[in-house]
Amino acid sequence: MSAKEVKDGLSLKKIGRFCGEYSFVLVFILIFIVYVLTCHGLTWAGVMNIFRHSAVVGIIALGMGLICLTGEIDLSVGSMLALDGGFSVVIFNMTDSIALTLLFALTFGAVCGLINGFLVGYVKMPAFIVTLATMLIFRSFAQYFCQRIDKTLLGGGSSVYRMSREMTSYDAIYGFGNGKAFTLPIVGIILILLTVLFVYISTSTKYGKKIYAVGSNEKGAKMSGINASLIKVSVFTIAGLLTGVAAFLWISMNASADPATTGSSYEMYAIAAVVLGGISMSGGRGKCIGIFFGAMSYTIIDKIIVALKMDSLINDAIKGIILILVIMIQIAGPQLKEKMAARKKMQRS
Amino acid sequence: MSLLKMRDIVKSFNGVTVLRGVNLTVEEGTVHALLGENGAGKSTLMNVLTGVYTRDGGTIEFDGKVIGDITIRQSEQLGIAFVHQELNLFNDLKVYENIFLGKEYANRFGKLDKKKMIAETRQLFQELGVEIDPTELAENLTTSQKQLLEISKALFFKAKLLILDEPTTALNTEEINHLFGIINNLKKKGTSFIFISHKMPEIFELSDRYTVFRNGEFIKEGNISEVTPESVTKLMVGDGYDNKSVYQERPVGETVLKLKNFSGPGFHDVSLEVKKGQIIGLTGLQGAGSSEVLQCMFGYVQPSGGEMEIHGKKAEHYSIHTMMKAGIAMLPSNRKENSVIPDMSLLENMYLSEHTLSAFKMHINKKKEKEKFENYRSMLNIKAENSSAPILSLSGGNQQKVFIAKWLNTDAQILLFDNPTQGIDVGAKAEIYRLILELAKQGKTILINTLEIPEIQKVADFCAVFYNGSIIKILRHDEIDETTVMLYSTNAVKSQEVKG
Repeated sequence: MSAKEVKDGLSLKKIGRFCGEYSFVLVFILIFIVYVLTCHGLTWAGVMNIFRHSAVVGIIALGMGLICLTGEIDLSVGSMLALDGGFSVVIFNMTDSIALTLLFALTFGAVCGLINGFLVGYVKMPAFIVTLATMLIFRSFAQYFCQRIDKTLLGGGSSVYRMSREMTSYDAIYGFGNGKAFTLPIVGIILILLTVLFVYISTSTKYGKKIYAVGSNEKGAKMSGINASLIKVSVFTIAGLLTGVAAFLWISMNASADPATTGSSYEMYAIAAVVLGGISMSGGRGKCIGIFFGAMSYTIIDKIIVALKMDSLINDAIKGIILILVIMIQIAGPQLKEKMAARKKMQRS
Repeated sequence: MSLLKMRDIVKSFNGVTVLRGVNLTVEEGTVHALLGENGAGKSTLMNVLTGVYTRDGGTIEFDGKVIGDITIRQSEQLGIAFVHQELNLFNDLKVYENIFLGKEYANRFGKLDKKKMIAETRQLFQELGVEIDPTELAENLTTSQKQLLEISKALFFKAKLLILDEPTTALNTEEINHLFGIINNLKKKGTSFIFISHKMPEIFELSDRYTVFRNGEFIKEGNISEVTPESVTKLMVGDGYDNKSVYQERPVGETVLKLKNFSGPGFHDVSLEVKKGQIIGLTGLQGAGSSEVLQCMFGYVQPSGGEMEIHGKKAEHYSIHTMMKAGIAMLPSNRKENSVIPDMSLLENMYLSEHTLSAFKMHINKKKEKEKFENYRSMLNIKAENSSAPILSLSGGNQQKVFIAKWLNTDAQILLFDNPTQGIDVGAKAEIYRLILELAKQGKTILINTLEIPEIQKVADFCAVFYNGSIIKILRHDEIDETTVMLYSTNAVKSQEVKG
C-alpha cells in the first residue's frame, strides 16, 4: 500500500467512526431535509417553532438519558409531568406567585424522582416495575385530586387544572411560556441551556464519569469505591427535577394541565429520543448531546405529518418505524462490519 | 493412531497474537498433558478446538476428518467434550436433567420420559463407579461429584476426546485418586484425554505424553517417561527459570495492619500482623478463605467477628469508601468482572477511584490528568497508544498496570492484590512482580493472594497458608516452596510428616 492509500484508508475510517458515534446528527439532518422539502422551504419562524415544541420532551429526555446511562429506565415521567403540572397550577392559583410555583414544581418533581430512585437504588427493585407502578400512581393521583379539589383552585376548570386568569401574575407566566428573546422562544433557550449543562456534567465532571461507570460495569464501579446505589438515586432525582422544570414550562405554555392527557406517552417519546440520540439502553455508552438531536428529530416528524396533511393518528406509527430503522442500522451495522472483516481475513489466510 | 492433529494454529485477539502456529497431536487411548504457564495459550487452543473461537489459520484433523470452522454443538457431535474448570452445570436442575439437557427423551406429545432417563443415568453411573443419586439437585453435589457428573455427561454422549481443565483444583487426595481410577479405566477402553494441570505430581502419575507451550508457541512434545518435573518446568518457563533472583531483603517499619480473630463469610479466626514495607503472600486452595479475607478487609463484605487495626486504629465501619480513605486499595481478582469499565478509556478507568475520594471538586482537569497519566505510563511501562485509547484495546498485563496506577493515584499505603497475574503473559507477570517489590521498597505494604506458589516465592517475606477458612501455617521466605505449601494447604501435614 502506498502512503497515500494508507492516508485515504485512515480518513475513511475516521468518517466511518464519526458516523457511528454521531449517527444522531445524520438522522437529524436526513429528517430535516425531508422537512424542508415538504414544508415548502425553510423559515426562521418554522425552525423556532420546532425548538418551542421540543422543549418539554427534550428536557424530560435529558433526565431519562442519565437514567439510561446507568442502565435503568423510568416509565413514570409522563404521569409525573401531569401530576406535577396539575399541582403546580393549584399552587399558582393559591399563591399568585411565579417563584413559589416554580419552586414547588421543582421540589415536587425531585421528590417524585427520589421515591423512584430510593426503591431502585437501595431497595434494589427492578426500575421497570417500580416506575411502571409509580406511573399508574401519579396518573391516578392527578385525575383523582382534579375531581376532589375545590373548583376555585382549579381556575374554574371542571376536569382540567386551569390557571386562573384573575391572578395578577397570569400574564407574566403566560408571557414567559410563549414569549421570545431575540426571536428565540424562551422555552427553547431553556432547553439549550440545560443541554449545555448536562453535556458538561456528563463529559467533564467526576459525577458524570461515575454515571457512565455504574452503567458500564456496576461491580467494577463499586470496587473502585463508587456508591452505585447513591448514583442511581441521584439520577432518578435529577430526572424528577427536570420533569419538574418541564412541568413548569408546560403550564406556562398552555396555562392548564389536563390530568388525563398531559404527558401521556411522554416517557416513550423521551426513551425514543434517548435511543435515537445514540445512548445504549444497557447503560454506559452514549452522548448527552444526542438527546437534544433525538428530541428535535421527533418534533420535526410531527411537523412533516402536519405539512403533508396526513391523519395525525398515523404519527406514532411513523415515529415507531423510524425508531426501529435507526436502531436496526445501529445494531446490525457493526455486526455486518465484523462479519465482512472476518471473511476477508479467512480469504487472505 | 492419532485421534487429533492440530497444525500451525494461529489466533489473535484485537491485534494481540495469542497462538503463533502451535501443534498438538493426541494419540488414541492416551492421556495427553498440555503444559504451559498461565497465558501460554492452552485455554485458547482448547477453545479453538471446541468451536468457542474461530482460528485465524492452521488445520485441524479429528478422527481422520479435516475440520473447518465449527460451532460448539458440532464439536460435541464429533465427540469432543470440554470439562471446564468452572463447571457448566445448572444448579437448579436435577442430576439426570443436567445430563439430558437439550437431548431429552420424550413421547409424541412432548411429555418427558423421566423414568427412562433416570434409569439410563443410574446405569451410566454404575458402569463408571460413580455414586450419585440421579434425582438429586445438582446444587447439592460436592465439587468432586460435579466434576464426575460433567465427565459422565460427556461419556454418555460417546465423547472420544475429553478435555479436562485443571480437574483436581478443588478435590482432596481421595477424590483425586477416585477420578484418576475412572480416567485410567476409560483410557483402556480407548477414550483419549487432554489433561491441563499445574500440579506436576499428578501430571507424571496420569499422563502418557506431553506437549509444552510457552507464550503462544509450540516448544516440545514427547513421552512423559522421558522427562522429569524439573526439565518440563524449564521448558515451560524458558530461560528466565529462576525463582529467587528478584527477591531482596528490605527494611521494614512499624506495624500498619493487624488482624485479630478476624472472621467473616468463608473464613474465621484469622490473625495476622503486617509491618510497613512488607510483602505477605496468602495462598490456599480455592475457597480456603484467602481471597475472602482480602475482600472483607477492603470493605466489600462485612466481617462477622474479630477486628482489624489500620495504623493502630480499629476499623469501625466496613465499606469500600471508608477503607479507601484509610489508605487501603484492592486489585480484585477476575479483572474483567471487578476492575474493567469496558466502555471507558484508560485514563477514565485510571482516575475512577481518585474521583470518588475528591468528589466535591466536581470539575475534571483533563490536562493535569493526562500529565499524571504520562508519569505512570513511564513508571509502570504501560504499553498503550495514548491515554484516550479504550481500556479493552490493551493486553491483560497492561490493563492490570493501569489498575495498579489507579490505586497508586489514590495514595493508598496498603495494597491488597487478589490474584494479580490472572490471565496475563509471562513477560508482563515478571514485570508486575518487579513492580510489587519496587513498591514495597518505597514503603507500601502489600498483601498478595495467589494460587501460584512460584510467584509468592519470588516476592513474599512471609506466606500465610489457608486451609478451610483459617491460617494453618505461616512460612518464612526461605521456607516457601511448592511442596511445603501444597502439603499445608491440603492439610496433608497431619498424616504425613513434611520432608526436608
